[in-house]
Amino acid sequence: MLDRRGFLKFVGGAAVGTLATPVVWKGLDDLSIWTQNWPWIPRLDKGNNLNTYISTTSKLCPSACGMRVRLVNGRPVRVLGDESNPLSRGGVSALASAEVQLRYSPARLKRPLRRTADGTFVAIPWYEAEALLRAELVKAARDGGLMCLSGDENGTMNELLSALTVAMGSSDFYLMPGEAQTTAAAWKSLGGRGRVGYDFARSDFVLAVGAGVLENWGPVVGNRRAWGRARPQDGEPAMRLAYAGPVQNNTAAGADWWLPIRPGSEMAFLMGIAQLLFAQGCPSAGVESFAELAAVWTPEKVARATGLAPERLQQVVEQLAAARAPLIIVGTDLGQGGEAAPVILGMALNTLLGRVNQDGGLRILPEPEPVFPRAMSYGDMMAQDFTAAVRAVADKKRAAPSLLMIYEANPVYAMPRGAGVEELLGSAGFSVSFSCFLDETARRCDLILPSAMGLERFDDVNTPFGLGEIFYALCQPVAEPLYESRAAGDVLLDLARLIGLDMGYATFREALEARAASLGLDWAGLMKGECAISRATLPLESLIFPSGLIAEALEGRFIQPEKGALAVATFTKLAFGTADSAIPPFATKLITDAELTAGELSASMNSATIRELGLREGMKIRLVAGEMSLPARVRAFEGVAMGTVALAAGFGHTNFDAFNNGKGANVMDLFTTVEEPGTGLAVWRCPDVKIVKA
Amino acid sequence: MEDRQESTAPQKEVCSRFKCRLCGVAPFFVGIVVALVFGWWLFPTLMFNSQEQPVQFTHDTHVNVAGLDCNYCHKIRPDGTFSAIPTTKECAVCHQVLLGESRAERVFWDEYVRPGKEVAWLIYQKQPDNVFFSHAPHSLENCNNCHEFSKTELCLFCHVNVKDKAPTYHENRLSGYSKDTMKMWQCERCHANPNHLAGTAANNACFVCHK
Amino acid sequence: MSATQEFRIKWGMVIDLDKCTGCGSCMVACQAENNVAPAEDGLNRRRALNWLLVYRLSNGKPFPDHDIAYLPRPCMQCGKPSCVSVCPVVATTKDEEGGIVSQVTPRCIGCRYCMASCPYHARYFNWHDPVWPAGMEKTLTPDVSVRPRGVVEKCTFCHHRLMAAKDRAYAEGRDPEKLPDGAYVTSCTEACPNGAISFGDVNNPEHKVHELIKSPYAFRLLERLGTDPQVWYVSRREWVRRLGDNYLNNEPTKG
Repeated sequence: MLDRRGFLKFVGGAAVGTLATPVVWKGLDDLSIWTQNWPWIPRLDKGNNLNTYISTTSKLCPSACGMRVRLVNGRPVRVLGDESNPLSRGGVSALASAEVQLRYSPARLKRPLRRTADGTFVAIPWYEAEALLRAELVKAARDGGLMCLSGDENGTMNELLSALTVAMGSSDFYLMPGEAQTTAAAWKSLGGRGRVGYDFARSDFVLAVGAGVLENWGPVVGNRRAWGRARPQDGEPAMRLAYAGPVQNNTAAGADWWLPIRPGSEMAFLMGIAQLLFAQGCPSAGVESFAELAAVWTPEKVARATGLAPERLQQVVEQLAAARAPLIIVGTDLGQGGEAAPVILGMALNTLLGRVNQDGGLRILPEPEPVFPRAMSYGDMMAQDFTAAVRAVADKKRAAPSLLMIYEANPVYAMPRGAGVEELLGSAGFSVSFSCFLDETARRCDLILPSAMGLERFDDVNTPFGLGEIFYALCQPVAEPLYESRAAGDVLLDLARLIGLDMGYATFREALEARAASLGLDWAGLMKGECAISRATLPLESLIFPSGLIAEALEGRFIQPEKGALAVATFTKLAFGTADSAIPPFATKLITDAELTAGELSASMNSATIRELGLREGMKIRLVAGEMSLPARVRAFEGVAMGTVALAAGFGHTNFDAFNNGKGANVMDLFTTVEEPGTGLAVWRCPDVKIVKA
Repeated sequence: MEDRQESTAPQKEVCSRFKCRLCGVAPFFVGIVVALVFGWWLFPTLMFNSQEQPVQFTHDTHVNVAGLDCNYCHKIRPDGTFSAIPTTKECAVCHQVLLGESRAERVFWDEYVRPGKEVAWLIYQKQPDNVFFSHAPHSLENCNNCHEFSKTELCLFCHVNVKDKAPTYHENRLSGYSKDTMKMWQCERCHANPNHLAGTAANNACFVCHK
Repeated sequence: MSATQEFRIKWGMVIDLDKCTGCGSCMVACQAENNVAPAEDGLNRRRALNWLLVYRLSNGKPFPDHDIAYLPRPCMQCGKPSCVSVCPVVATTKDEEGGIVSQVTPRCIGCRYCMASCPYHARYFNWHDPVWPAGMEKTLTPDVSVRPRGVVEKCTFCHHRLMAAKDRAYAEGRDPEKLPDGAYVTSCTEACPNGAISFGDVNNPEHKVHELIKSPYAFRLLERLGTDPQVWYVSRREWVRRLGDNYLNNEPTKG
């Protein structure tokens, strides 16, 4: 028998013997390799090293970025810029750049959800969801009570939705309030026909008033590409840019001149420019009323209203006069709910400078012809005012819709708290949201239908807002819709057929093919990423300067905020999403103290303002306007106009994903809607706020 | 007798003492032997599991019977990436109908071609994620600037011989690597070869092979 | 610092700070290209890794004379990298033609000595394992390995794109050591809508960057430390250039 001593000898022998085998060395080697490839770290899928590329257009980014999506073994992994795209020329916005990853956002809707009696949601199969919606559509067709809101800005989808709304006996089709409607309303008040675009790329001096032309206004990637190309690193710039606005934002960072003006004082600034132009001998024939109104707006008076030094105003006018192709673009930072009167002034000034239908000027573009029978015309769509409709329902001035259909829009988050969207959703007979994400609005609807994202469906972009030429590009699926999501266009066409409506097309792709054919475009070419550009314009007819409207809009404005109160200015970064989306996962690293301080919204003020109010940097405060208030923290930033507090827009989501929820606060909580004097347009406005130490 | 007895007793003692000494070290040697047997024979068997390819593919049939060129399946694409293994769809160019009556053909056709499924081939030379390897520079053309390799010689420098039957695939149970995964020293046979450092692209900088 | 190796090819980046508007497109493109995990809280320095980080610069003047600039900071790929000389395990080296400082993460033991020695804060330590929201790992590119916790990582000038460009050159029968201008650019260069970033071989007269770095307005970060970075910045604004190094009050700004 083996005794203890023998056993120890055996172990000793085994140990010595083991040293002469690969056990220790191989074992250690394998162990270290194992630690280099932890099983819980995702593996790369190289497949057969096959890279393919599909050219398409971003529906997520409002600038209609041309994208070249890289697929590895059929799996989309990267959004790259498309060099052959005539608009974005290889540039890609921070938003579009993350589009492939955003498909897998934790907020992405997976399957249809129905609200139950106790307010919770249950997942239901598509056939059940379709049957439910079909029954509601049949009901709404009987009473004509359908109201439809679309978050799409420029696609054929809006024609389908409006045609469906009209076919259902209603005229309540709306787009989410945006700069396009404001501009259209302004153009209409001048008596203009067609639609207006700005030929940014061909201008040599751009004066942007409120419009973040290098960050979030219009076809921004195209703008930036043109701006960048006009400014070679090793030569003199061929384009100069002046930005007038209350915050030294990203556009101001790229501008040659930042002209700090108080929030809401754009009209005074523009009147000051008009006054100087007239004083310098700009012919006033035909616009006598304009000259008459402008006469009082001397640089000194403008300085009192805007806070801008008179010599800086004079400098701008000199530059405008000296430029070969000057262009004035008036917009808002939010790009939503803006006032029409400043835009009218901007258009009038461009006309005064002789810049209409010129290269690098303001161009009058023909409206697109609808391909859907019964679809609203572009002009009719632009004339529809959702803000006003919501107000009317909330004020019980009109009946609530029996069916509220929301397509890829998030008005609960993106519209002013005081606008009455919640009331509208609460009073609608039935509400359905076609949405990619389980967002604030979807959560308040009775039925949520998961929508395929722009990368997963056929869609199109027909002249993004602000562009000075007609532009058409196709969006095509680069991957199958994730989970159970479906392209809303096809779902609606199916339902329309089932309730006996003939929309003219069986699938949405057919409609797009018809659109391509109507524009004389080759479908195969569009699928390869080709875009159509036309520089056709409508002739300029005589415009009438709406002096009464402007006089009314100027009245009672530019009063200094009362002591202790601050005007509110917002700043928006495209990377942090749009009205219909939110901060994509990768963009959280772009957040700085400009947006958030210690998890709360930064209230940026210049140091003089901070001193005046007796505040300290980092201090917890509340911005209070009447019943509304917003938590924030004081941040010193010298790039903010006097008496102004700057707040980042796009934060404070409550129902999105972990990359958004609980980050800061929503500036829309301070906003309300008012009727713009003169135009009667329902616009969004943030009242002056008082600072309360929290 | 007494003498004998007397003489045998010490003899016995010596013997038993010798025996004891032998018995005493025996466990030690047994230990060594057991360890050696375990370490050289059992351990390598235990460390790796054996797997057969999902389809018994033979290169011989494809090259010698069907007359395919290597490049037909294994080719450098115009963008420089390497198409290592054809997809089922590519195989189906020929295999759209049953070719022959072998069991392997039947399996391939029934389980992969008809349902349009990709074969989960076991890759003998599988490299981990942190290794970058590209076939493009390791070409016959580049190597034969100085060497005189045949195609087979060059391929066999790194790859296992797959001429006849697909060899059994051995996977390391701990690291998950294939038994035939080249280790760094094997790459360095060329990459760290002083003769290669001037005039060839094969240098031993870390980022040449790591990512 | 040890003697530096001279390379025939020197991959360099030139960033025009007057053209950067701070949109962050480069940062997003970088993360997607290099398989950097997103962070729920982007401000959390232990969770958020940035191979490329855009800094905001201020001229320090009060309103209304305030000016602002943005400065994207990749790894400088220093000619005399202070990180390389301190690495105890040779996980980071500058030994390849082109001068890109390598970082081999499986070799890294996580001592973070390199982080302490890097004057640009270009290196990041994985305090945690990277986590992608469920399903998002399907968007990982096959080009860059995923780094586990416990190792340091940094910008590599999208080195995998250099390898891809060389492979393409092989396939097209061109010399992979003589890549034409634009054949190899980093992901951030490609993504910038303003075209603020230029990339190429600064030693090659056929590449645009060769001339751009000679601009009187060009400077490098903390040049006087002697790190000899391969990233140049260009700004016509004196105050921006002045922020690029530590100047004594009476010293004139370079450029």
